[in-house]
Amino acid sequence: MQNRERRENAVLASPLVLFLVAILGFPVILSVIYGFSETSFTTLTSPKFNGLDNFRRVLADQDFWQAVSFSLRFGVICAVAQCVLGLFLAVYLAPLIRRHGWMVAILIIPMIVAPAMMGLMYRLVLHEFAGPIPYYMYALFGWSPSFLNAQNVFTTVVVAETLQWTPFAFLLFLTAYQSIPQDLREAAAVDGTRPWRMFRKIELPLMAPTLFVALFIRFIDGFRVFDNIYTLVGAGPGGATTSMSIYIYEAFLRQGDIGRALAAAILLFGSAFLLLALAQLFMRRAT
Amino acid sequence: MKRLGTTTRWIVFAIAAFVMNFPVLATLITAFKAPGEVTRNPSLWIEQPTLENFAAVLTVSDRLNIYHYLWNSLAAATIGAVLPIALCFPIAWAMARRGTGRGVLFPLVVNLRAVPLIIFAIPLYMMYSALGLLDTRFGLGLILAVVNLPLALMLLVNAVSEIPLELEEAARMDGARLPRILTRIVLPLCRPAFVTTFVFGFITAWNEFLFGLMLTTQNAVPVTVGASFFFATSGGGVQWGMAAAVMIVAALPPLALGLIMYRRISWSMVTGAVKG
Repeated sequence: MQNRERRENAVLASPLVLFLVAILGFPVILSVIYGFSETSFTTLTSPKFNGLDNFRRVLADQDFWQAVSFSLRFGVICAVAQCVLGLFLAVYLAPLIRRHGWMVAILIIPMIVAPAMMGLMYRLVLHEFAGPIPYYMYALFGWSPSFLNAQNVFTTVVVAETLQWTPFAFLLFLTAYQSIPQDLREAAAVDGTRPWRMFRKIELPLMAPTLFVALFIRFIDGFRVFDNIYTLVGAGPGGATTSMSIYIYEAFLRQGDIGRALAAAILLFGSAFLLLALAQLFMRRAT
Repeated sequence: MKRLGTTTRWIVFAIAAFVMNFPVLATLITAFKAPGEVTRNPSLWIEQPTLENFAAVLTVSDRLNIYHYLWNSLAAATIGAVLPIALCFPIAWAMARRGTGRGVLFPLVVNLRAVPLIIFAIPLYMMYSALGLLDTRFGLGLILAVVNLPLALMLLVNAVSEIPLELEEAARMDGARLPRILTRIVLPLCRPAFVTTFVFGFITAWNEFLFGLMLTTQNAVPVTVGASFFFATSGGGVQWGMAAAVMIVAALPPLALGLIMYRRISWSMVTGAVKG
């Protein structure tokens, strides 16, 4: 009996496991081999082992550290902005949404549009001759900043990312808010608790786990950002918007430096893994 | 007092909806402007609405064949949405009922959600070029399936554990073996979960950009990447009206699906986030 169950389980697991081994197992092995070797596109079949050379080159590269700094700042600022806005919208609009469910559909549209498309759309919207935003800036203030120059581009991409993904945080908070038992609020209201105090003392603590999850997911997604920045400005003026993902992409396809790209990718994977492990440890402690 | 609060809420909603959807709205409006009007009048008001841009985009020319890109996206996204369901369904049952793979396999797959995709893109590029899978819809579909695995597994484990155990036990009493139980009882009851997983996976796969950019060059280019070519190749002057129409056409399939099924979409996003 025991044996049969074990056999059955192996059969049930095999499609997924085999698929993972085939499509992710080989790449992992390849990454390790080439990450520690000297290769280019012309010498792909004969990688020459060179130890930690690639890693040394990555760590000595100033552009790499600029990309690390960009990704960290971008991830943190976007995550906080999205969670603050999303929390506000969810709590403030919840009474309306209870009666008009369709409002949710309108607010989640940005999430259903491909980030790459969103980046292209911002190119149009911000364009100095064809874009409505500069047009209205001129009409109203007689002046418009150039949104994509070295000075402003960071703010621009942060705002673009935040406006697209605030709906995600909003959705999480809305669900958490709606699942707070109604009688808890009623009991507090009977005791004469004012709305703001109710939010701070009762609702917010109950939503704290969601807040943490939302912050973490939004940080990770901001940290690994590629699509929308790439289609809007690419690496940016002077590499101003080179995220970790864009750095690796450029090293690989533009500069053909496979070893350095893979070493950077392995470092990125390591840091993502570490963050994930820390977050999960923290979650387990908290609950 | 109460009325005033409601009005302010409506205003906040209108502002939020307008600001967050502004790029989509502005693109939609631009798509209906005549080529000459776009730069002369960048406002949100159309002087002479026209379907010219859509007609141009939907006509095959040597510069642009949108049907080719749409077909590539459709094929790759379908593979990317169906394959995870097929791969995850059997093990999802074992995980929900027997706790199989809960220790390693489940967290491994679920955590893929947080891994930067670029990490896989480079070695996959090398593997695909060795296997002849570069620039094929099948190859692109395979990797899109990986992107969708985490959510598929979570949603399906969730779905199986909500099926009453009595149904399976009754069938077992009647002498039904596992394959029969899975196909005759569990599978039909999971159908709603399949639909949700498929729709969500299809939208995600359709919207994916990085793998399309790196693993395709011509034959299998998906529409997200094709639209960006359109910006790059039109040289000095981008034809904004046409570019806008391309983006609307490219964004329409996921938008239509998403708006029709927004309840399921939002529910599955929340499930995916909270369970992960």
